[in-house]
Amino acid sequence: MFTPIGTSLVADPILPDAAQEAEGDTLVATDLPWMVIVWNDPINTTFYVTFVFQKLFGFSKKKAERLMLDVHEKGRAVVSSGDRTEAEADVHKLHGAGLWATMEQQSS
Amino acid sequence: MSSMIRRRRDGTFIQAFHSGISTLLVDLGDQLDDMLDSDTPELRRLFPTAYTDDEEKDAGYQILARSSLTDQRRAAIETVRRTAENEVLTEDELTDWMALTNDLRLVLGTRLDVSEDDDGSEIDPTSPEANLMEIYHVLGAVLHEIVAALSSALPRGGTD
Repeated sequence: MFTPIGTSLVADPILPDAAQEAEGDTLVATDLPWMVIVWNDPINTTFYVTFVFQKLFGFSKKKAERLMLDVHEKGRAVVSSGDRTEAEADVHKLHGAGLWATMEQQSS
Repeated sequence: MSSMIRRRRDGTFIQAFHSGISTLLVDLGDQLDDMLDSDTPELRRLFPTAYTDDEEKDAGYQILARSSLTDQRRAAIETVRRTAENEVLTEDELTDWMALTNDLRLVLGTRLDVSEDDDGSEIDPTSPEANLMEIYHVLGAVLHEIVAALSSALPRGGTD
């Protein structure tokens, strides 16, 4: 997918995949929310991760610490969800802060 | 290292790091600047995969994210270069100091393949990487100071 560089980070967030279109059930496949996941890593400190969650998402200290502990102890935490564009924007912010974030669509 | 940075009533910060610290950040920042356009695996934590199960979507993300994340990192390096000798830093400038410090830890930590338990207490002085490991831990201490200072500037409350 070599799309020209534009302002949006999502190249074609609205267009369904060709395969889904052929099957005729695009609504179900494309409407499910995307989840933004932060993974545990050995470098980022717990103190820093908590701060980043507060700063980027406006979470209370309590919520940020709870999510940080999930990342630290369970290996991952879902920190936000939304449509593909929103999720990609959050992943991008987290990558800017040096956190190990990925996104995946909720399975039906 | 205790309270090397103090937040003032006008919202700016006074930093009292030893001058060696800002020199270190500038030197390592210059090295990072030179590396940013390369594809060395040491940078992989700066440009992670977004879509783990869809290579095509990830390629689309990387095309745009790589350049914007690189620009953002160069901007932080430039801020630190410009303000390295300043005693007073704005919140935005200090945020760039934090970003560069964390980026450097990510690159060094990747090179050193650190584990979560490396707390700096067991550095083998004869190891060829002892020097880098020491720098890694100095950066950790600097980061802690900056995050503590910036935390004091966060708005109270927030969503639960």
